[in-house]
Amino acid sequence: MDGGARVTIVHYVNQFFAGLGGEEAAGHEPVRLEGPQGPGRAFAGAGATPDVTLACGDDFFGEHESEALATLLAWLEELNPDVLICGPSFGSGRYGYSCGVLAREAGRRGIPVVAAMTPDSPGVMATEGAAYIVPTGSNVAAMRTVVPIMAGLATRLAAGEPVGSADEEGYLPRGLRSNVRSDRPGAVRAIDLLLAKLAGTVGTEVGPTGDRVPPAPAVSDLGGARLALVTEAGCVPQGNPDQLPTRHANVWLRYPIGEVDSLTAEAYESVHAGFDTTAANADPNRLVPLDAARALERRGAFGSLHDAFYTTSGVDTPVATAAKFGQEIAAELREAQVGAVILTGT
Amino acid sequence: MFITALPTIAQMVGTNRILRGVSITSPTGDPSLAAGDEHELRVAIMERALEMLTTEVGPTTIWEQS
Repeated sequence: MDGGARVTIVHYVNQFFAGLGGEEAAGHEPVRLEGPQGPGRAFAGAGATPDVTLACGDDFFGEHESEALATLLAWLEELNPDVLICGPSFGSGRYGYSCGVLAREAGRRGIPVVAAMTPDSPGVMATEGAAYIVPTGSNVAAMRTVVPIMAGLATRLAAGEPVGSADEEGYLPRGLRSNVRSDRPGAVRAIDLLLAKLAGTVGTEVGPTGDRVPPAPAVSDLGGARLALVTEAGCVPQGNPDQLPTRHANVWLRYPIGEVDSLTAEAYESVHAGFDTTAANADPNRLVPLDAARALERRGAFGSLHDAFYTTSGVDTPVATAAKFGQEIAAELREAQVGAVILTGT
Repeated sequence: MFITALPTIAQMVGTNRILRGVSITSPTGDPSLAAGDEHELRVAIMERALEMLTTEVGPTTIWEQS
């Protein structure tokens, strides 16, 4: 022993990395496990051995957020760790989100937090700057490079040692402003800043806020409106004839439903790689509610159903790609005089 | 409008009309119900979705099914 103060490290992972199971265990409630689990062993090898591992199923966290959070935060309060490590969650949407929310809540309670995920993960936004997030690649291959960086940050935070700026340390900007004493007078700094701006080398941690679109006005004449169904649930005809990628989709597809009354299990399936598709494949209307839309169309609840549905698989999809898909699909629907859209997501 | 069982994520990215879906793996269905009951539930979800489309809303509004 080096005689240094003993620190407590807690590690948060999802059901998969805790070894509880894959998608079939995504509904697993929060559990508390002793010692390092899964990637926690890599942290142990990098000098940041987790004392306790907390885990929760991705779907459980998403569907019972306040309940999951209450359990996890109660454990954190009891353990009073010197640092919390979340993930890495790479490009995973649900796992990234749970890491981000837990990181935010723990950070606000004064626990230093280190997480790691892709910069466009929903978890980054969920964190709201309350954690140090190390940017990663979208899949587990990035584990080897990211663990030492996370472990380095975690051990320093646990020991109460200072951590440098996002730019110096390589974590994502937290949007924080901190006062520093400069040894140069204001006039010199102002000229330097002006020159930097002219040279295009000005840096800031206070980035712009996310894209916001005003709500569309209410549909005034639903009885005369054409309605379209769109999904990111990876719903395609059986056999996936156009080879929609199961993740990292670079395309969206359009399938005719002019003569179709219901998405039967014999004719359609989901190829989405981000959730357990058992229930969806038993009845694809659970993803794209065509049978209900037809029933309401017959009843005159709206004008008519557009003669195609639009689909992609929203797994590890960068926000920029999703925005592009949305704009392209919307342009086509506008062209087809569609007045309202119901989008379903998993 | 968007039907999802993860409404807080939809809210974060700026979706304006959000209706809470049944579950992540089955946003517009409930495998625990009998087929007829599930179809009725799905029609009710769609009616609620149409209601939301015809209602003026503020930014990132979340509606529950009932």
